[in-house]
Amino acid sequence: MTDEERISYLAGDHAGAPGPLDPADAVELDELRALLADPAMWEVPGQHLEDTVAAAVTSAASRETGDERSGPATSARRAQGGEHARRARHWSRRSVVAWAAGAAAAAAIAIGIGVTTSTGPHATTFSAALSGTSLAPGATGQATLTQTTAGWRVTLHVSGLPRLDDGRFYQAWLKNAAGVLVPVGTFNQSGDITLWSGVPPTQFPTITVTRQQANGNPASSGQRVLIGNAHDVS
Amino acid sequence: MGDPLLLSRFTAGDEDAVRTIYRAYGRLVFAVAYKVLGDRGLAEEATQQAFLQAWRAAASFEPSKELGPWLATIARRAAIDVHRREARHAHSSLEDADPADAGLVSLPPSVDRIYDAWQVRQALSELSPDEADLVRLQHMEGLTHTQIAERLNIPVGTVKSRSFRAHRRLAGLLGHLRGDDPAESAPRQPPIGTGGQR
Repeated sequence: MTDEERISYLAGDHAGAPGPLDPADAVELDELRALLADPAMWEVPGQHLEDTVAAAVTSAASRETGDERSGPATSARRAQGGEHARRARHWSRRSVVAWAAGAAAAAAIAIGIGVTTSTGPHATTFSAALSGTSLAPGATGQATLTQTTAGWRVTLHVSGLPRLDDGRFYQAWLKNAAGVLVPVGTFNQSGDITLWSGVPPTQFPTITVTRQQANGNPASSGQRVLIGNAHDVS
Repeated sequence: MGDPLLLSRFTAGDEDAVRTIYRAYGRLVFAVAYKVLGDRGLAEEATQQAFLQAWRAAASFEPSKELGPWLATIARRAAIDVHRREARHAHSSLEDADPADAGLVSLPPSVDRIYDAWQVRQALSELSPDEADLVRLQHMEGLTHTQIAERLNIPVGTVKSRSFRAHRRLAGLLGHLRGDDPAESAPRQPPIGTGGQR
């Protein structure tokens, strides 16, 4: 099979690929076509993510400044980094998408390594990526919860939620495993929003945002537009 | 990665360095996480975790090595952590679970599959916007050449010739041409500090 025929097959021009495919070629090209059809190859993160990543790393670095860098936690991190480097070396010897076809054996899952958290004197911080529900599939957001003496400051960066007015608004909630909801504040539209919580994300880790109507009923409408789970990034 | 100073600044938590590396690799890290998790919000969360873990491990990273594969490995592991957490919390019992829930029946993609995805994502980012759009319409949306022609309001013959050119470029970037030595034709690593990816 010539390069032209392979490209024709990849491009879906079957007239340009006259003969039957070599089985090895077919497997390889079909794997590539499957990847090209995978939404993961085309989806892009929200624009807020750069800010979120930068804030998370710089915040963690600033908390780390007072820690003993050569202590056990750092040693553990270095060991973890060594494992990553070993895997990277393995990859460096491997070709792009393997030319030689062959069914790949199911690989064992690598055991995930949890994030080592620092225990310095600084504020505990939780973070959550918020996903739009079927009521607001285009919405997305990021929440950062920071412990202060007054309570937990909840900073939301939300996009994709249209403005609500005339007695309609959005309300954020924290929820525990038993389903108990605690309101943490209300707002009108996407943007950077600061709210406050009197309960900790350690016990109320789920963050939801609902559409509400000022009709005298303070309960959740159940119309969730965003949802996510907070985790410790201290 | 060829820039020990940038890595040193990243290790120190310098915001500009974090942003520079994010702009070069953020979309690729996100693509790996999305490949594992299949959910945009969770993938963004895993991306954030991956960069945090990379920062924590950066002191032991060898600057002579490529940063991309190292970040992809971290991204996969961060995504698996998120996947496991979600699987633990998603259902109080098996009876509550959706039989189609991927978390019940499938393993996360292997390291090799993730690396394939990384390479393809990187190659796609090197196509022109028109080329990438055509490849996306054809493969992800599953449109025929005729349907693409109708969508873009151009002749079918033009779609075919553009498609051939786009796929030839893609195959070249990925080493899917007989004349290429795959070891020599791997996509280039993203340029650092040159404006990021599309």
